Amino acid sequence: MRYTIETCELTKKFGLQKGFTDFFLHPFRKDEITAVEEVNIKIEKGELFGILGPNGAGKTTLIKMLCTLILPSEGTAHINGYDLVKDSGKVRRSIGFITSDERSFYWRLTGRQNLKFFASLHNYYSNDAEVRIDELLSLVGLKDRADDEFLSYSAGMKQRMAIARGLLNDPAVLFMDEPTKALDPGAAQNLRGFIKEHIIGDEGKTVFLSTHNLPEAEELCDRIAIIDEGRIKVIGTLEGLKDALDKPDPGLNDVFLHYTGKEFKEVAPKRAYSGRRGVMRGFRGGRRGGLRF
Amino acid sequence: MAHLEPYGGDYFSFVLIGIAFSGYLMTALRSFSESIRGEQMMGTLEAMLVTPTDTSAIVTLSSLWSFIFMSFRVLMYLLIGILLGVDMSNANIFAALIILVLTIICFGSIGIISASFIMVLKRGDPINMFFMSTSELFGGVLFPISVLPEWLQTISHILPITYSLSGMRHALLQGYSLSALAPEIIALSIFSVVLVPLGLLSFTYAVKRAKMDGSLVQY
Ligand SMILES: Nc1ncnc2c1ncn2[C@@H]1O[C@H](COP(=O)(O)OP(=O)(O)O)[C@@H](O)[C@H]1O
Ligand SMILES: [Mg+2]
Repeated sequence: MRYTIETCELTKKFGLQKGFTDFFLHPFRKDEITAVEEVNIKIEKGELFGILGPNGAGKTTLIKMLCTLILPSEGTAHINGYDLVKDSGKVRRSIGFITSDERSFYWRLTGRQNLKFFASLHNYYSNDAEVRIDELLSLVGLKDRADDEFLSYSAGMKQRMAIARGLLNDPAVLFMDEPTKALDPGAAQNLRGFIKEHIIGDEGKTVFLSTHNLPEAEELCDRIAIIDEGRIKVIGTLEGLKDALDKPDPGLNDVFLHYTGKEFKEVAPKRAYSGRRGVMRGFRGGRRGGLRF
Repeated sequence: MAHLEPYGGDYFSFVLIGIAFSGYLMTALRSFSESIRGEQMMGTLEAMLVTPTDTSAIVTLSSLWSFIFMSFRVLMYLLIGILLGVDMSNANIFAALIILVLTIICFGSIGIISASFIMVLKRGDPINMFFMSTSELFGGVLFPISVLPEWLQTISHILPITYSLSGMRHALLQGYSLSALAPEIIALSIFSVVLVPLGLLSFTYAVKRAKMDGSLVQY
């Protein structure tokens, strides 16, 4: 096994739900959206690889595929030498997945109880689990607040809890999907510092991180892939990407423009799937009730 | 009245057992799909699925609690029944436990099949609707199935609850021996042999479908 992560023409197409009239007018037409298209990447052990792209570019879909949470439509991938589909159990044993989706915890339980529960799913019980959880809690700096309910945590603390959970099984590969997405600039900066100091410092871990934040990619990543509309436009080190431009002292912004032909800006996903997000916002508001932090 | 004869002849005892144990079916139909749906909405399902633990194990364990809770309720019903004069003095407890285990296995599998439908269809699941609407009427909860016209009794015979309740009544009220309970035990065993693999298969398929649609998380 030469590469820790290796994908070959990895593709994901989602079938779109048909509207009622479409269903009768065109019963056999398949409406599909290609979220990730023919992705080929090779990532070596110990690398911090960043995938940079605007909203809706396909970052989450790509990461979830690599975490066995979404089945690829075409193509193959190997993580730690295991086939993503045929050996998904072994893949799961060797990875950690850190979402920016703060909902993925039990809000009524404490942080520690949450970690205990997920540790048991990794087959860590009683003493082993407790020692491991204590280590992780001090690593992410949440030892003091570990016995408070999850819902009382700030966005930054929730994200650090997610990191602790992702590290429970001491994975060789760590996937982080937009870890600073929900954070304000200060908290985001802290978290980047933490990632640099503790996760990358932690020897041997391969990290695959997605971001839609240019400076973040610049600050953290050894190598960067630029993804747009599901396709990888270019892969390289920051220096390499900049060198290819004949412009003095280019920023990543210019790099993005050069390879995608577009300005990098925050655009709402223009493709068909934006509907559910609106619903989600309403739902979250309701769920949190009056709590805002 | 003659219809109650096979169960000891007392309507109150008949209904007590019917209501108490049919609760297990309601629990099964509700708890699995609610727990799966809840995890899907909360986003915790995904977090579970990146661990090596088998999802069906997780779902089963998470609804175990509902079954334990239900068992307390059933015990309460039975105790109250005894206080109100239901005669269970020659109950065959061992036989009743065997019927209970088979009942939970059958109902649990039906619950998992229903949860699989929920996971793929998101709402309105036909399994739940079928069992909810038929079991009370045709399963012998409130009245013996023998009062139904012959052709409606065929529906009763394809419902596991029919055998559970009749087995329970025979075991608890009349103290039937295991061999006398053979028809119910065999019927429930056959249901189990069919329903358990069906439950596991449908659940595996549902997870796969959700991974294809990217719908492990729902908003
Ligand atoms: N489950 C799904 N069903 C249909 N379309 C989806 C689904 N998930 C994502 N998409 C679509 O795929 C594209 C990529 O989405 P995503 O991977 O979430 O992008 P990113 O994480 O880069 O913002 C978007 O156009 C999105 O609308
Ligand atoms: Mg995303």
